[in-house]
Amino acid sequence: MRITCPFCGERELGEFTYLGDAKPQRPAADASEEAVYDYVYLRDNIAGVMSEHWYHGGGCRAWLKVTRNTLTHEISAVEPAAGAGAAKVGA
Amino acid sequence: MADFSWDVRSPLDRTLVAGPYGVQGDAGVALTEIRNFDLVQVMARRGKASEMAQTAQARFGVAAPETPKAVGASDATLIWSGPDQFFMLSKGGKHSIEALAPVFAGSASLSDQSHARALINVSGEKARTMLAKLSSIDLHPDVFGVGAAAATSMDHTSVTLWRGTDRNGQVVFNLLVFATFAQSLWHTILDSAAEYGVTIGHSEDLA
Repeated sequence: MRITCPFCGERELGEFTYLGDAKPQRPAADASEEAVYDYVYLRDNIAGVMSEHWYHGGGCRAWLKVTRNTLTHEISAVEPAAGAGAAKVGA
Repeated sequence: MADFSWDVRSPLDRTLVAGPYGVQGDAGVALTEIRNFDLVQVMARRGKASEMAQTAQARFGVAAPETPKAVGASDATLIWSGPDQFFMLSKGGKHSIEALAPVFAGSASLSDQSHARALINVSGEKARTMLAKLSSIDLHPDVFGVGAAAATSMDHTSVTLWRGTDRNGQVVFNLLVFATFAQSLWHTILDSAAEYGVTIGHSEDLA
């Protein structure tokens, strides 16, 4: 599997580290216990297209949001995760 | 009270043996470690990327690289190391971290990497063939021209790689590697290069 880093170009999998599902959003401070439990512990086990966080630690050290099909490994989109440097891409 | 004197030594000091290595005859690969340089990592603070770029332009007379490239100024080389960040490589203290800190105050965070990296210069007819064993990126001159740079990994070790100006008609690659990984990568490079014959040396001159 290869990932095309929006900063570096196409690179081998070994340069990246997988973090996990990019979908969960931190609930508001006054959210219910159930919402916090869901955010911290519960993950969907998706067979198909999912949004994931990857870290390009062996390269530019940017966090990326990768849209990948877990059945075929086909990657349909890679974009910078929010943070330093991300503002400029695609601008 | 004991007096301490710090003896500044290259991380490859005990490992590098100057002279020929591997197959005898005309060496296909020349490895030169560059010693005693100033290396500063410059990283834009949040929302200050354009301010940092303007400061770099004013200080060095060239635009800081915004894509994986190495840009030569009259007395420094600016090498892309990630989004909104670059390395400043120089010699002689003119652009040391002490000199740059007030210049970039407010726009960028600086980190002195002068003694945290080893700089290895790889040239010779077989330089690219040898590096192809270690790198998964395409170093063919059509894709990786003079001034091209990459933040990548070799032998599971993060490196900053860029192509310098050709010397005697031959391609020159520069490799910055973490000091504590320098010995390990050095041995891997020697293993890869042995079949082409190697000339090993060290130098105080950037180029």
